[in-house]
Amino acid sequence: MGWQQSLQESDASKVRTIYLNEPLRNSFCKNSISTAKYSIWSFLPRYLYLQFSKAANAFFLFITILQQIPDVSPTGKYTTLLPLVIILMVSGIKEIVEDYKRHMADKLVNTKTVIVLRENTWKTIMWKEVNVGDIVKASNGQFLPADMVLISSSEPQVTCYVATSNLDGETNLKIRQALSETSEMQTEKQLSSLSGKIECEGPNRHFNTFVGTLYLNDKSPVPIGPDQVLLRGTQLKNTQWILGIVVYTGFETKFMQNSIKLPLKRSNVEKVTNVQILVLFLLLLAMSLVSCVGAILWNEWYGEGIWYIRMKEYISYSLGFDLLVFIILYHNLIPISLLVTLEIVKYIQAMFINWDEDMHYRRNDVYAMARTSNLNEELGQVKYLFSDKTGTLTCNIMTFKKCTIAGIIYGNQSEKSDTDIRKLSLSPSVITESCEFNDPRLLYNFENGHPTKDYIKEFLTLLCVCHTVVPERDGNNIIYQASSPDFLLTDEAALVKGMKNLGFVFTARTPTSVTIEVMGENFTFEILNILEFSSNRKRMSVIVRTPTGNLRLYCKGADTVIYERLSEDSRFMKETLTHLEYFAKEGLRTLCVAYADLSEEEYQQWLTQYRKASTVIQNRMQSLEECYEYIEKKFLLLGATAIEDRLQARVPETITTLLKANIRIWVLTGDKQETAINIAYSCKLISAHMFRIQLNLNSLEATQQAITWHCEALGTQLSKENDLALIIDGETLKYALHSEIKRSFLNLALSCRAVLCCRLSPLQKAEIVDLVKKHVGAITLAIGDGANDVGMIQMAHVGVGISGNEGMLATNNSDYAIAQFSYLEKLLLVHGAWNHFRVTKCILYCFYKNVVLYVIELWFAFVNGFSGQIVFEHWCISLYNVLFTSLPPFSLGIFEQCCSQKSLLAYPQLYKISQAGNTFNTKVFWFQCLNALIHSFILFWMPMKMLEHDMVLQGGYTTDYLFLGNFIYTYVVVTVCLKAGLETQSWNKFSHIAIWGSIIIWLVFFAIYSFVWPTIPIAPEMAGQVKMVLVCPYFWLGFFIVPIVCLTLNLIWKSIRNTCKRTLLEEVREMESSRAQKFHPTIFRKRVEAKKVQMIFATPPHEVVLQSESFDQSIPRGYAFSQVEQAVITQEELIRSYNTTKSKQDKVTMDSSHSRQK
Amino acid sequence: MKRTSEESQSRLPDNSALKQQQLPAYRLQLTATGVLSGFFATGVFCLGVGIILILSAKSIKEIEIKYTKICGNCAKLREDATNFDKECTCSIPFYLSETMQGNVYMYYKLYGFYQNLYRYILSRSNSQLMGTDLKDVGTCAPFSRSHDGTPIAPCGAIANSIFNDTIILSYNLNSSIPIEVPMLRSGITWWTDKYVKFQNPRSKNLSIAFAGTTKPPSWAKPVYELDQEDPENNGFLNDDFIVWMRAAAFPTFKKLYRRLNRIQYFTEGLPAGNYSFNITYNFPVTRFRGEKSVVLSTLTWSGGSNLFLGLAYTVTGAVTWLAFFSMMAIHLMLKDRKMFFTQQ
Repeated sequence: MGWQQSLQESDASKVRTIYLNEPLRNSFCKNSISTAKYSIWSFLPRYLYLQFSKAANAFFLFITILQQIPDVSPTGKYTTLLPLVIILMVSGIKEIVEDYKRHMADKLVNTKTVIVLRENTWKTIMWKEVNVGDIVKASNGQFLPADMVLISSSEPQVTCYVATSNLDGETNLKIRQALSETSEMQTEKQLSSLSGKIECEGPNRHFNTFVGTLYLNDKSPVPIGPDQVLLRGTQLKNTQWILGIVVYTGFETKFMQNSIKLPLKRSNVEKVTNVQILVLFLLLLAMSLVSCVGAILWNEWYGEGIWYIRMKEYISYSLGFDLLVFIILYHNLIPISLLVTLEIVKYIQAMFINWDEDMHYRRNDVYAMARTSNLNEELGQVKYLFSDKTGTLTCNIMTFKKCTIAGIIYGNQSEKSDTDIRKLSLSPSVITESCEFNDPRLLYNFENGHPTKDYIKEFLTLLCVCHTVVPERDGNNIIYQASSPDFLLTDEAALVKGMKNLGFVFTARTPTSVTIEVMGENFTFEILNILEFSSNRKRMSVIVRTPTGNLRLYCKGADTVIYERLSEDSRFMKETLTHLEYFAKEGLRTLCVAYADLSEEEYQQWLTQYRKASTVIQNRMQSLEECYEYIEKKFLLLGATAIEDRLQARVPETITTLLKANIRIWVLTGDKQETAINIAYSCKLISAHMFRIQLNLNSLEATQQAITWHCEALGTQLSKENDLALIIDGETLKYALHSEIKRSFLNLALSCRAVLCCRLSPLQKAEIVDLVKKHVGAITLAIGDGANDVGMIQMAHVGVGISGNEGMLATNNSDYAIAQFSYLEKLLLVHGAWNHFRVTKCILYCFYKNVVLYVIELWFAFVNGFSGQIVFEHWCISLYNVLFTSLPPFSLGIFEQCCSQKSLLAYPQLYKISQAGNTFNTKVFWFQCLNALIHSFILFWMPMKMLEHDMVLQGGYTTDYLFLGNFIYTYVVVTVCLKAGLETQSWNKFSHIAIWGSIIIWLVFFAIYSFVWPTIPIAPEMAGQVKMVLVCPYFWLGFFIVPIVCLTLNLIWKSIRNTCKRTLLEEVREMESSRAQKFHPTIFRKRVEAKKVQMIFATPPHEVVLQSESFDQSIPRGYAFSQVEQAVITQEELIRSYNTTKSKQDKVTMDSSHSRQK
Repeated sequence: MKRTSEESQSRLPDNSALKQQQLPAYRLQLTATGVLSGFFATGVFCLGVGIILILSAKSIKEIEIKYTKICGNCAKLREDATNFDKECTCSIPFYLSETMQGNVYMYYKLYGFYQNLYRYILSRSNSQLMGTDLKDVGTCAPFSRSHDGTPIAPCGAIANSIFNDTIILSYNLNSSIPIEVPMLRSGITWWTDKYVKFQNPRSKNLSIAFAGTTKPPSWAKPVYELDQEDPENNGFLNDDFIVWMRAAAFPTFKKLYRRLNRIQYFTEGLPAGNYSFNITYNFPVTRFRGEKSVVLSTLTWSGGSNLFLGLAYTVTGAVTWLAFFSMMAIHLMLKDRKMFFTQQ
């Protein structure tokens, strides 16, 4: 958890002292928590502060203030204030809704109940009432309400198990052990008579540290360490009850201290948008300056003669004053509603992600969750995908699949049917039990006296005996639990379970023996020694006395280490080796299985040696290992097992699809290289014909040399995509990330289709992501499930957490949480692509509509002597963004679909469009602005020409400037709405409401607004306009022609581009719309393929002409051990403490007596 | 969260199509046939309307006579503001070759007069014009009060700069005796203006009602004496005043001045013959390099003679047809290629 500590070192706060059973002397923070952003009182000031710290909102506030200066505002005093207030209200409501949810969640947590010792009796109280110093009693399955020190528990050796997945995401159970001094304190009487104090360090955020001392009266002080501490947020498991003294509460608990605020991620589109807003601001300044200059020139030319206004009196105003006038006049160029529109649009997009049934993992009833809505469009631009392996690509479930015994391979060969099943069960919810070994031949051979019968028996027996699994009876069922808490789901459990299905049932374990049941008969093996596993040894052995009284050593381990130790008499070596290779090709993890018969004296001799070694104080492990080495030899090979590190459902398909979508996938794992490569094969990330570059070096120079050599070998193909796979381990990576060779390493990595980094620390994962993020400038996505992935999840542009496993840390730090890796397909290809199109269209459209309307003011300035007069009515202008054209951006941003989700999934190539970001960049922005300028010019010029003649009304009435203004305004609303219609590629009922509704809203508003004066003293100049405008035939003639002229230009441009440069998207869309008539997806697919083939031939495949052993094409075999070494309690110790033949009650007494003897 | 027997059922039982983003939607597809037929139809429609508009605009008779240069003496006189009390008249004869059928409207037209200046438009008091508060002149700068502080009624720059030429059209029936052509000076304002926006203060006698105010500096007569002939046409309800108060959009604009009273010789309209405008020249325009003219015009259903909209329709129709043909050509050319591609 290095990265966490490096994040922020909390102050060395002072020591705290907790007095036992003296509640009055312990005054610390309350246990109630609040994760909400606001309270009722702090809402307004805090919310306003947050809003106005956004540049755009601050700008509009500034304009509002400027408008209060008398005479400076040509648009009235409150015309910016109103839309600003509306917008703040809308986003304020959103904030309130979100915060209300947080308040509710807090309340739920705070009112959970727990049993606490109060006034010498157990009382049930709410979590928020728990205080420091309280003695809490928790039972199995309960979540702990605060950080506490374990006093005693129901289990042997006063241990207890906790699931810490909420904190660190590790799914295995952690073992905690109380101090022997307190282990007897179990009754109320004992507890309430307890007196003394606990001194401990102040609250901090480190899960794995705790320093404290227990001072019990009349006893010597005892140190308390992390092994005695139970943290808030963890769950009690496999333990009937525990008692604990609360030491930290509420925000001072380690859990809360770690719930840091997520770093605010901004999407690429948002950044570009901010730049564009800035550009618009500059444009605004430029327009204001032009107008100022225009005003000066006009005054020079006309000023003297304008007797009707006494120009001289005004010329005294300074240039700066004029500038302010024009800035206020044009300030709406910056779309005031853009930010809030986007906020709401993205919020709803996030809701769509949350609602998606295709990303609903039915088995755990987990929906996908968008934890932030900022990055929706970023999902459509991902170029580099960094994936964790364990728990992300794989389920972290091992399955015994195949084996080879005495040169004969067993296991379901019918791979075909297997893949068929997978295809059928598209929804990944159907994962059956982890054992899939199903080959009747094995038992047939065994029972019917096949020549290899004895080998089969020995093989199966070995697997039943040589392991560290603990059986647990649950009625008639036996549940196998890996004994060490540090490897809950290991291969061993899978093997033992597999054996059980074959009729070799491992039924009981006592400290000295193992009982198995074969065909109804019980055999007991006496376990003499367990030769532990370590990553150095890559094997484990047990020495047993067989029921017949022989001494035998059973060993299983990696093929290389086993083969080294085979005796010359060993048979089937060749066959087994080919079978191992076959297994490896299928991506299975293999274990070789061998045994050796020991003679009595040989064993005794070794035993003395072993005893000596086990008492050595220095380097005990090493001397033990040397000692093991001595007896692990002259093995006789039995065969090998193949375990599937089961991939999550549809992972290979998903990876193939993502690769087609031009997403590069890097696997970053803490696991071993062999297993990582195996998984890469089985999930089709690396194919058999791919060249592999492996970097396993142990010095900076060597690394540098190797990288340079490879880079040179690639020559011109460097930095282009080659059919290569780069495999590097953490050690080498440490050197490769040195500042001098970082760059060339990156180049090398970018030249490879697949990159595999193994044995990485969490920090290194984050470093790699950072490297790519900083130097490539492409969008990165990191996906993982564990605590070790948090760094990269936070570092990447988009962080995705795999939820549903118990681990929450990755999810809590992610931006999106999904239950299965395969959901990434839908998240990226459908939601990502859609949202990207939606958001970019929405943004561009908002820019467009503002430029169209407000640049008209500039055109009008040319005919009104740059005096600052506006051609529209004040309130019409200010309501433009919040009323008349507010709906189309929403319909674009929420409902627009470039094409159906079926097509997006069927043709992943479509993803490249949004990935490349060609739909939203500076060029597109300027194009849109130019388009808006042309439209605004047409929209001003045509009505001007129409009305220039003044005689447009029946009865010869003449008109005024606002008559022109209303013409233009109506045409603008119509044009802008229809333009949204042109942009909308998928019209649903909401699009219709938004587009036609907006036009109708304006016309209705116009009609009502013209009758407001003088009843309500606003808008006197609007009075009577509607009666004149709507009866004017020119108005209706223009109503038709002006939008047509504007949009025909766009339509012609679009059609020409559509015809001449047809993109894949348009072809797909065309196919979709013609589906009703005749739809042959296969033909179409062929077309797409044909296009692709052409593309490939256009850029000939790169041939790597390297003749070097470094391009390794053989497949390494991952051996199946996933144990963690150096646990708190050694494997042997633990196994020996279990006796499953006795009842639980006995166990407690036995073990407690055992510990007392200690 | 009730999800028990869902697996077997349809995938979207309690989920609306909205939530799954599967609302029925029409995909807007710019297909060749759609676009082409749309263009063709638009072209036909625009050309048709364009021709009709051009024809109807052509049927309008319109005469415009600029009189700033013709009345050069008067123009010169008015350049100096101190000559405001000197009267200057000017007569402009002209020959009408064709009869102007139907209703004939007389407009005055100003060139280079910026009624759309920000401060000019601002400089009026709507509440004063409503007759409710004559003293409300706050927004009328710089013509809100006279030097002694009396509020001006009507206040403001717009009112102050009212067009004050008098134009009388005479018809020379027998080339000797000119007859004054009967003109209506009412019915030239918007209904809303006359009955909602402009109201005289409530009083039987206008001069009493306007007591305590003074006339705008450029005016010769106070507001209640604007029309000597028709006492109803005085105060804020004077039609010429109301027409002027609607600030025009462009620096060159027309304002309706009179309409033909179709009686006597003029029941059919203005017959062909010799006419003359007798103008009392008061309104100075040369100071701001402007010009004045007087316009006589008939109207059709679409208004006055304005070719622009007709041309716009015609041109748009032509352009869409052009686009139609060229795109048809491109489409046919590419169609062969595409079919070749499909066969692959």
